[in-house]
Amino acid sequence: MRKKETASVKTRRFIANTVVHICLAALAIVWLFPIFWVILTSFRGEKGSYVSSFFPKTYTLDNYKRLFTDTSILNFPQMFMNTLIIACFCAVISTFFILATSYCLSRLRFKMRKPFMNVAMVLGLFPGFMSMVAVYYILKAIGLSEGSMIRVALVLVYTAGSGIGFQISKGFFDTIPKSLDEAAFIDGATKFQVFTKVTLPLSKPTIVYTVLTSFMAPWLDFIFAKVICRADAKYYTVSIGLWKMLEKEYIDSWYTCFAAGAVLVSIPIAILFVCMQNCYVEGMAGAVKG
Amino acid sequence: MKKKKVLSLLLATAMAASCLTACGGSDAETTEPETTTEEGTAEEGAETTEEGAETTEEGAATEEEAITATIKVWSPSEDQSEENGNWLATMCEQFKTEHPNWDLTFEYGVCAESDAKTQVGQDATAAADVYMYANDQLTDLIAANGIAQLGGETETYVKETNSQAIVDSVSVDGAVYGVPFTTNTWFMYYDKSAFTEDEVKSLDAMIAKDKVSFPLNNSWYIASFYVANGCTLFGDGTDNEAGIDFGGDKGAAVTKYLADMVANPNFVNDKDGSGLAGLRDGSIKAMFSGSWDYAAAKEALGENLGIAVLPSITIDGEAKQMKSFAGSKAIGVNPNSQNPQVAVALAKYLGSAEAQQKHYELRNIVPCNTELLQTEAVQADALVVAQNATFDTTSILQPFVANMSNYWTPAENFGNSLLNKEVTADNAADMTEQFNTSLNTSVAE
Repeated sequence: MRKKETASVKTRRFIANTVVHICLAALAIVWLFPIFWVILTSFRGEKGSYVSSFFPKTYTLDNYKRLFTDTSILNFPQMFMNTLIIACFCAVISTFFILATSYCLSRLRFKMRKPFMNVAMVLGLFPGFMSMVAVYYILKAIGLSEGSMIRVALVLVYTAGSGIGFQISKGFFDTIPKSLDEAAFIDGATKFQVFTKVTLPLSKPTIVYTVLTSFMAPWLDFIFAKVICRADAKYYTVSIGLWKMLEKEYIDSWYTCFAAGAVLVSIPIAILFVCMQNCYVEGMAGAVKG
Repeated sequence: MKKKKVLSLLLATAMAASCLTACGGSDAETTEPETTTEEGTAEEGAETTEEGAETTEEGAATEEEAITATIKVWSPSEDQSEENGNWLATMCEQFKTEHPNWDLTFEYGVCAESDAKTQVGQDATAAADVYMYANDQLTDLIAANGIAQLGGETETYVKETNSQAIVDSVSVDGAVYGVPFTTNTWFMYYDKSAFTEDEVKSLDAMIAKDKVSFPLNNSWYIASFYVANGCTLFGDGTDNEAGIDFGGDKGAAVTKYLADMVANPNFVNDKDGSGLAGLRDGSIKAMFSGSWDYAAAKEALGENLGIAVLPSITIDGEAKQMKSFAGSKAIGVNPNSQNPQVAVALAKYLGSAEAQQKHYELRNIVPCNTELLQTEAVQADALVVAQNATFDTTSILQPFVANMSNYWTPAENFGNSLLNKEVTADNAADMTEQFNTSLNTSVAE
């Protein structure tokens, strides 16, 4: 009798698991399908933007080669370097801004704290590009819209407002016990020392997350790069380059290169993630004793 | 205690504010004279352009005044690539040697003709002195104060070296805005082994015989059918108040024709480059596109590539000539330029027969200078002949009046409805009326 019951429980669990797994598999396919297709297209031998078959008829590495050798019309290596430089600066500066803001809002108590958080929340609801024309004119007024200052302008645009995205790391900081801070204060630490010596070492996962999202911003943004770079092709970022490849004049010969470029963009982000991944695992285990 | 804190806070903010305004003040001071001079030249722009033209006229005989200037020039990136012979820099350097008294430095930027509206419109005062634009953007460029009217000798030059239709394409209310250097339209590429030269004169004969691809849900193309049957856009193309007239019996007849065409298995819609891909693998024998696809079509068909003007369609037993939208690409001068005299002269030079010749040799850009078109080398080029024949005989000037902006989206949607068979031969009359109403409804209102 007992045995039978366990058997029916087992089958029931088996059925439930099967259903769940089938659903997950379907979702995974839906998610991964476009990515898979882009990767396939990047190795496609036939030219053109339209194909009648899902799998390419011939495979080649020429699309990647062309991206880095055919630089006369669309200088992809230069765009890639531009974006990489901007992204590195953004990763450092934005991360500092975000973590500092989060720490203040999590640990310090001041009158404007609640109103500030509300205002930040409301401001965050508006799309950033709403202000693009104003941003351009401000940058022009302070002389950042010409020549090599364009890179500075882009770093500025991507980092300056990043503090507003404090919510996630503030939430993380809130979970770190206050008793740790207090212990440090008793030992004579300043607030900044508590931030750098106590809070930050305990919040590696959120630092990784912040660095990654900050690093990604310049790779993904198109609107601000377009508005600020305008006709200065030397300072284009990859997203402008990829967009150009899809224009009427280029799409036929550049479409497969476009896919290759899209694949390449993911590489720096992936490298950064792999490098920082082990920080994710380290939790706060054993932080507070007793 | 609290009051003190508030006071100190106020003082601190006051200090910060004064600091900021101080910086702002000095900034404003430095930028102000700049802007005033810019405005000054902008106003003078029109006058000086005429003056400039006059001086260049005299310049041929007498000495030019010495000018030191940095001229910003924007062009598509192909014009600046070494592989394609770096047309822009070559021409600009040549321009420099022709004007020994001018000490010029050129700054090159990238801006495709089709982007001029956005790039120049974003900030005309910081845009290039000389740039290239597609003529359908003229209204927007004028509205953004981004383009100067040409006068004097340059205007005469434009009028003398181009056909009337091309001059019209860069004129608004009789004023010429830019030096045209090429035409822009679409025509037919076909496989010579599939169709004879007689058959390509009629779309019906072609579809009856083999697969034909047409971008029906692209607004730039679909109008050709309606125009064929006597429908008009803005009267003669310039009368904003006249509106678009695609309705009535003549419009319904075209819709019926299109519904029948979509039902024909030999018709294939051209979308996302499927026409070109079909030409490549042989599943499609004719497609409609412009000079930008020439290289790809040539590669696909080789010797068999035929280029022809648009065919005619048979409506109610009568052959009606399809007519494409045509435009031109021209070189414009920024009215905010510090050196309008140099800018106008450069624009004229970049649009001259010599520069067009070079453009054609380096990049296959179809010239539009009437004298250049008569030369043998140009006459022997099938692409040039077809594009110009299309421009001259089977096209209408694409209207660029303000209300034309209402045309694009409804036309595209109507093409889609035709393709998914919401519009059929039975409801053609009703649907055409609805279509016509939407064409004349402003999106902004």
